[in-house]
Amino acid sequence: MSLGYIRSTYAGMYGNQRDNVSNMEQVNDPEAAFADITRQDYDDYLNNFRAFEERLLDATNDTSIIDNARENAPKQSKIAEGVAKRNTERYGGAGLSNVQKQEQQRAQQRGGKLNLAGGVNNARIQQRQVNQSTLQELIGIGQGVNNSAMQGLGDSAAMASQRRNAYGQAKANYSSQMTGLGTTMLLAAFGV
Amino acid sequence: MSKPKASAYKASESEKATASIGLADKKFFREAYLPKLKEARDTSEKQDYTGVAEGRGNADTMQALTDRPTLAATRSVDSSANLASAATGQAANAFFQGTVGKREDQLGVLKNARGLANTATAGLARAGKIETSNLLAAATAKETRRNAMIKAGGRLGAQFASNVGDANAFEQAETKAGIDKSEDGVRKSADQGSFFEKGFGGIDIAGRGEKYT
Repeated sequence: MSLGYIRSTYAGMYGNQRDNVSNMEQVNDPEAAFADITRQDYDDYLNNFRAFEERLLDATNDTSIIDNARENAPKQSKIAEGVAKRNTERYGGAGLSNVQKQEQQRAQQRGGKLNLAGGVNNARIQQRQVNQSTLQELIGIGQGVNNSAMQGLGDSAAMASQRRNAYGQAKANYSSQMTGLGTTMLLAAFGV
Repeated sequence: MSKPKASAYKASESEKATASIGLADKKFFREAYLPKLKEARDTSEKQDYTGVAEGRGNADTMQALTDRPTLAATRSVDSSANLASAATGQAANAFFQGTVGKREDQLGVLKNARGLANTATAGLARAGKIETSNLLAAATAKETRRNAMIKAGGRLGAQFASNVGDANAFEQAETKAGIDKSEDGVRKSADQGSFFEKGFGGIDIAGRGEKYT
């Protein structure tokens, strides 16, 4: 198989893509482009997600489940009371004596208070569970962010160190070369 | 040996193509995906999954406990309190599930924004999977037991009436055949009141009994 055949085959297969790539914006300085994109990414995050992240961090002290339980228990007792009242009417009083009616009311009241107490207690546990889980996840995210930041700093520091070493090496080489050159010239001047 | 040339250290064509593709992809991401992620952020904050979950939880409770009102339940002292208790438990469970779903969505968006993970939508899925609370299960069980006892009572009554009827018929047949057992202490049917006649004095027991079968 000749090289010409391979070239023509690949040109046929990837001709369109090659056109697309050549129509793309030329990047002559990838380092500068990368620096720009990194800055833009961080700006995007700050503008769009920083406030959201802060709200989520505040959500670890959320009390909405407990508040809801406090509101909900009396509401449900009232609904159940309505259901019971309608059912009694449906059965024409259901043959209930006054004592039975009173006992029903007492049971409803007792149930209502128990619901409130039990509901709020359970809600406290659930709220703690949600808040703890959110906190754990946020800590995980924070660790990821921290690792990424440390990696970025480490890379920058390593690159700076490499540059400093290269500069020192270059200076030493230059000095050595100059010394060598001076020595050669001196020796040549004295005809040694 | 010639001096090093700067042109020899320029980016190769391959490097330039890779950088161009990276830049184009990045621009596309910014135009197409970033708005979607912002949309997901807003949805995760504004969407009220708790309302959806509570609605479903409440519907489950009412369907389970008030679907077919019975006289026994209406007369019972504690059925109303049980209904309130079950509804409260179910609503609390629903609110909890809704909150958990919302948090999961929000954390997913944040992870994505921080470039740590993919966004996964869990909130609505969770809201659709409210587990039946213990209180609703207990109240339903109580209701079922009450209805079962009424059914069993009805069956027993029907069977008792049927047995009495059979006994009467047997006795009447014996009387017709001339068998008098008065000496053995067994009363003849003629002496019995109408209550012990088939059908409790004319009431259609079989008809009533069928209702409970």
